Amino acid sequence: MAATPLALKLTGISKTFRGVSALEDVTLEVAAGGVHGILGENGAGKTTLMNIIAGLLRPDSGRVEVMGDPVPLGSVRAGRAQGIGMVHQHFKLVENQSVLDNLVLAVGKSLFSRSPRRLLRDINYWCRELNWPLDLDVPVGSLAVGRQQRVEIIKALCGGGKILILDEPTAALTPAEVDELALAVAGLTRAGMTVLFISHKLLEAVRICRTISILRRGKLVYSGTTADLSVDQIAEKMVGAKVDVPRLTQLAGHTETPPMLELVDVEYRAKKRGPPVLKQINMTVRPYEILGIAGVDGNGQSALAALISGAVNPTAGRIVHRSGGHGNVPIRLGYIPEDRHKEALVLPLPIVSNLLLRSYRQRPFARWRFCRFGAWRKHSADLVRQYDIRCRRLEDAVATLSGGNQQKIVLARELSQQPELILAVNPTRGLDVGATAFVLRQLLEARERGAAIILIHGDLDELLSISDRVAVIHRGTLTITAWPDTTPAQIGRLMLGGM
Amino acid sequence: MTPAQNMLTFLSRQAVTAATPMILAGVGELVGELSGVINIGIEGTMLMGCIAAYTVTGVSGHGTVGLLAAMAAGMVMAVIFAATSVWGRADQIVAGTAMDLLGVGLSGMIWMMYQNWRENLGFSTALPRGSGFSAVPIPVLHDIAYLGPVLFDQYALCYITIGLCVVIWWVLRRTRLGLIIRALGDAPEACHAAGVRVRLGRSLCLLFAGACSGAAGAYLSIMQTHAFASDMTGGEGFVVLALVIFGRWKLPGLIGGCLFFGLINSLQQTLQTARYTSQNAALHALTHVPFQFFQMLPYLAAIMALAIMSRKAPGPRYINVPWPEVKT
Repeated sequence: MAATPLALKLTGISKTFRGVSALEDVTLEVAAGGVHGILGENGAGKTTLMNIIAGLLRPDSGRVEVMGDPVPLGSVRAGRAQGIGMVHQHFKLVENQSVLDNLVLAVGKSLFSRSPRRLLRDINYWCRELNWPLDLDVPVGSLAVGRQQRVEIIKALCGGGKILILDEPTAALTPAEVDELALAVAGLTRAGMTVLFISHKLLEAVRICRTISILRRGKLVYSGTTADLSVDQIAEKMVGAKVDVPRLTQLAGHTETPPMLELVDVEYRAKKRGPPVLKQINMTVRPYEILGIAGVDGNGQSALAALISGAVNPTAGRIVHRSGGHGNVPIRLGYIPEDRHKEALVLPLPIVSNLLLRSYRQRPFARWRFCRFGAWRKHSADLVRQYDIRCRRLEDAVATLSGGNQQKIVLARELSQQPELILAVNPTRGLDVGATAFVLRQLLEARERGAAIILIHGDLDELLSISDRVAVIHRGTLTITAWPDTTPAQIGRLMLGGM
Repeated sequence: MTPAQNMLTFLSRQAVTAATPMILAGVGELVGELSGVINIGIEGTMLMGCIAAYTVTGVSGHGTVGLLAAMAAGMVMAVIFAATSVWGRADQIVAGTAMDLLGVGLSGMIWMMYQNWRENLGFSTALPRGSGFSAVPIPVLHDIAYLGPVLFDQYALCYITIGLCVVIWWVLRRTRLGLIIRALGDAPEACHAAGVRVRLGRSLCLLFAGACSGAAGAYLSIMQTHAFASDMTGGEGFVVLALVIFGRWKLPGLIGGCLFFGLINSLQQTLQTARYTSQNAALHALTHVPFQFFQMLPYLAAIMALAIMSRKAPGPRYINVPWPEVKT
């Protein structure tokens, strides 16, 4: 370690946001060349630390040194002059400007020239080096996410980057694109670059990074060679406790209980004369069981969720609630939608309001149509404790929370109502190890209480680990599998349309 | 030249004269809006320009000094607006409304104080002879048929405005500065990541817009007329605001809109006098129509043009969104 020169040295970096500590005395050394992983859960401070290195944020204390030279803090230009280039998780691109214009905007030096020859040469060089053909004249917004990321990487490289920071680069990529990115990163390190690879996805970080640092709640808990730790040990360091993936221990045996929800020959067309999005769907779900619906995204899952949640009506067929009873009795539904930002939360509103979206009109939260804020607060405080929602104050806007905590708010609201039927769509998307385990555990607990649960989920491993029965949706057709008497591989083939 | 050709030349020249201050203010507003700040108080800024130009010219006796004072007044207004909306995160519509009210009220008050002061000293409130501007025909060029009188027999500020339009067009289309200005309004995050200071950039754009609006005010009080009257802008600032949107945040569209408005305006003015002097029976019948009806026409035309022609065009995305979005 001592022999290789240090590319980056951080000493005693601390940062607080409005009194809450985001980073505490982080000291970190990264050797030149190679890929260094920065791991940690959502909200552990990874992005804050990277923003400080790149100069977007000014730390409260600490020093940043690049190749032995101290970098002036809090200045993007100074950081770039020292060779730091950052690719943000949420791309910092102007979508309606062309690729070239974006590069000129970010890297250009003169205010007036718009196609500097040197920049064009650099762009060509890196495009050839990485074997990424780039069309410079198309608007960035028309490119797929993977391509936009390439623009961002080229942008960082053309800025003279010797240290490339990739913040959650794989979050929006398909598995194939992740492989391509890993290849490109390997190529860059061969060319002498140092890459900082930020991730909360453990397995891919272990695969790509030779050395890693682990952050937990703003503190550095490990820094060293990846191979020294097992995957379980890394996970434990990230979360701070042993993580056990929740798993169904005993299958439901309540086939005699009447179904909570039954779909009979349901068909759905988005447009009146359009093709059916869902065809001939027949399914039942009973209390005390989880029905997992697997499938590749875009095979009708959204329409199915909309039908079950009651947002749309079927064009043909029937949806029966609690069949055997007197007609269609409404049942208490807990709904965890696919897009928590658009469908589940009101981002600018405080945590309290979001927790009470469903129940604010009921007693004890309202009396004579007047809100009783005391009861709201007490209920919210209880839920925040019960669901381990990490926030400063109940009045904070939900938008300021991390993704995991936002999802916990949705869970708290939907599950605290003792729902009889729970519909969860991709409930762990974008969440880290700890939060994922939490969500799955909550679903299992609801099942113990007697809820009927429909879990539409893109992650097959998680789905199989907690489902009593598994169905597969492909091109709008639902097939009930013989799970657990089939193999995951067979289910995977069904998802792709095989028999 | 036939009388019809004469008439066309005359109307076109009037249209350019009337459109100049609107184009000037519009170019500033366009740059401001592209950077993500909509200032609906242009009217107030123009009025401050009017009164500053008039009083300073009246005291100093130099029109140029008055013009500079008008630009300075516009920039002071811009500083106030930037302080509230860019740095203080106030809603731009609310802050802009306040700026409009401030300009209308303050300019009227300064006008009264100025009149009292001058009269107490025993001076006239009229501009000193020769201190206001008059049209400057450009030698040779103004002899060209049609184009000569229309484009090259105007006030000096009109030529400057034409030059400014060319420069701004070039900056917006062909330079990195233009990319930055647009990005400030479309993706301030990208600017921030590129090391551009978003609030400073927006403030500078507003400062430029303020200077433009101030100069436009000076055009009204010490060039087009040599007088000041309360509310003399008569809503032109708001028409400019509409025309920026009408032109879909593009310079040619904005200029076209201003010229159209100017043309209708010169047409209605001509109609107003022609109905008394003309031998034409149809025109003569118009003498019974109240003059307010004619004054209304350009605004009516502007509203109709907006209603008919403005298809939904997406403007800068971050208009009226403060930076940084989440307060830290």
